Amino acid sequence: MLTYIIRRILIIVPMAVAVSFLIYLGLDLTPGDAVSHMLDPTRTVDPEKLAELRHALGLDSPLIVRYWIWLTGVLQGHFGYTLTGGVPISSLLVDRLPATLELSGTALILSTILGSILGTISALRRGSATDNVLTVVGMIGVSIPEFFFGLVAIVVFALNLNWLPVGGRLLPSYDSYWDHIPNLIMPALVLSIMMTAGVMRYARSSMLDALSREFIKTARSKGLPEWRVNLLHGFRVALTPVIVLVGFRLPILIGGSVIVEQVFQWPGLGNLFVSAVRNKDLPVVMTIALLSVVLVLTVSLIIDVLTAVIDPRVRLGA
Amino acid sequence: MALIDIVSRRSRLDRQFDQLRRLEEAGALRAAGGSRFVRKFLNNRLAVIGLTVFTVILLMSIFAPLLTPWDPTKINLRAIAQPPSPEHWFGTDKTGRDVFARVLYGGRISILVGLGSALVSAAIGVIIGCYCGYVGGRLDTIAMRVSEAIMAFPEIILVLMLVSIVGQSLFNIMAIFILGGWCGIYRLVRAQMLSLREEEYVLALRSFGLNRGLISFKHMLPNALGPVMVNITLSTAAFILAEAGLSFLGLGVPLSMPTWGNILNVAQDLAVLQNNWWLWLPVGIFISLFVLSVNFIGDGLRDASDPTQQG
Repeated sequence: MLTYIIRRILIIVPMAVAVSFLIYLGLDLTPGDAVSHMLDPTRTVDPEKLAELRHALGLDSPLIVRYWIWLTGVLQGHFGYTLTGGVPISSLLVDRLPATLELSGTALILSTILGSILGTISALRRGSATDNVLTVVGMIGVSIPEFFFGLVAIVVFALNLNWLPVGGRLLPSYDSYWDHIPNLIMPALVLSIMMTAGVMRYARSSMLDALSREFIKTARSKGLPEWRVNLLHGFRVALTPVIVLVGFRLPILIGGSVIVEQVFQWPGLGNLFVSAVRNKDLPVVMTIALLSVVLVLTVSLIIDVLTAVIDPRVRLGA
Repeated sequence: MALIDIVSRRSRLDRQFDQLRRLEEAGALRAAGGSRFVRKFLNNRLAVIGLTVFTVILLMSIFAPLLTPWDPTKINLRAIAQPPSPEHWFGTDKTGRDVFARVLYGGRISILVGLGSALVSAAIGVIIGCYCGYVGGRLDTIAMRVSEAIMAFPEIILVLMLVSIVGQSLFNIMAIFILGGWCGIYRLVRAQMLSLREEEYVLALRSFGLNRGLISFKHMLPNALGPVMVNITLSTAAFILAEAGLSFLGLGVPLSMPTWGNILNVAQDLAVLQNNWWLWLPVGIFISLFVLSVNFIGDGLRDASDPTQQG
C-alpha cells in the first residue's frame, strides 16, 4: 500500500512542478516587474539605480533562479501582489475562500444525495416510465447552460415571487452560516443541477451492475424483503464508486462555480477570478489557476488511494 | 523470376483476402455495416428527434438571410427595446437590432465554434492517438505527459487563463478550445488502439507485411471510430455551452460579433431580466434546444455503435 502511494506521489509531484513552471512563464510575460510597482510614476529615476535595485531584489538573475524564488515563496503562502491596487493576493484568497467553500460544498453534498437517490430509483424501475422520464430530465439538465438556469431562477423566485434575494451573500449584521441560507439556496441548487444529472447517470448504471450480481440472488433466496435486498445489499455496493466519482467532478464544480458565482454575485474565488481576467490582473489569474491545478491533482491522488483501499486489484495490478 | 514464383504460390485464402480488401477499398463492405448502424440509430426515437432539431436549427442559421430581412448588426435608434411583433419576431434590443436576426446569425458563429473546435480537436486527437497507440515510443510518452498537464486544469480555468494572456478573438477562442479538447480524444483513441493492437487480425496484417501506417489508420482506426463519434458530439455540446458561458461573462467571442452567448450578455442587467424577457429567454431556449439535440444524437450514436446493444 505504501509503495503504491509513493508511486502515485512520484507521478503527481513532477506534474505539479511542470504546471507551476508553465504558470510562472505566463506570469513572467506580464509587462513590468516588482520594481516598476515600487516606484512613484511621477518621478524619473536614474536607470543605474534601477538596475542596482533589480540586482538587489534578484530580478536580473536567470529565469530558473527567479522561478525557484517564486516557487519557494508560493509554498510559504507568498503569492505576490495584485496589479490593480497592490493588495497581497494571499489576503484576498483568505477573504474569498470561505464563500466558495460554502457554495461548492453545499452543491457537492446536494448533488451527491439527490443524484444517487434518483439514479437508484431509475435503476430499480428499469425500463418503466419513471426511468425514461428521469433519463430525459437528466439529459435536459446537462444541456441547459448553468447561467441560463440561474437567470430563470432569479426572474421567477427573486424578481417575481420575491421569495429569495437576487444575489450576494452577506446582509449587514448577519454573519453566521444559517443567515446565508436564503442567499445560498439558488446558487447552490443551480450549481448542483448539472452534477446531479451526472451522478444520477452513474449511480443508475452502478446500481444496475450491483443488482445483477450473485449476492443479490442469494439475498433474495434467503427470503429477505425486497427493500432490504435493494437498499442494504444493492445500494451499499453501488454507492462506493459513486462516492469515488465525487472527486472526478471537482473540475466541473470549479468551472461551474466560476459562472454561477458571477450570475448571483457570490463573493467567492470564481468571482475574483473573472474580475481578474477582465482587468488583465495576471498575478491573480495565475495564482488561482495554480491553486486549482494543485487542488485537482491532490484530490485525484486521494481518490487513487481510496480506490486502492477499496479494491485491492488496483494496487496490485498497477 | 522469384517474384512470379511467389505470386503463383498464393493460396486460396490469400485470394479471398485480396477479394475482401478490394471490396473494402471500393467501399462495398462498409455499406452493409452502415445500413445496420443507420437502422439502429433511426429506431431510437430521441435520437431522431435530436437529429431533426439539430438539422432545423443548423439550416436556419445557414440560410439566415432568406429567413429574415434584418441585418443582425445594424443599429436602429427608432426601434429600441421593442417587444416581439409581426415585424420583429423576437423584438429588438437596446440599440434597435432585430433579436431574431441576431439569434439566427449568432447560431452561425456559435455552431462554428462548437462543431469546428470539436472536429479539429478530434482530428488532432485521432491522428496522435492512432500513431501513439499503435507505435508507442517517445512521442507517446511526451503526448501523454502534455495531455495530463492540460487535463489537470479545470476547463474553464484553463480557457480564461489563456484568454487573459492572448486576448479575445474568434480565432483565439477556437484555438484555446482545441488546445484543451484534443487530449480527451487522444487518450480515448490511444486506449482503443492499445487493445486492438492485440487482436489477431492485426497480427495477420502484420504477417502480410503491411506497413504500420496502413494497419493503424486503415484497418484499426475504423474499429475505434464509434466512441470517437460519440465523443465528437459530446464535445460539440460542451464547446457550445462553454462559448455561451464565456460570452455571457463578456470574455468569449468579441461582443461586436453576434453569438448566442453574446446575445445573452445583456441579461447580466437585472432591469433587462425583469422587463425585457425577449432579449434573453428565446436565445436561451435556442441554446438549450440545440445542445439537447446534440446530446440526444450522441446518445443515439453510442447505442447504435455499441455491438453489445441490439436494436
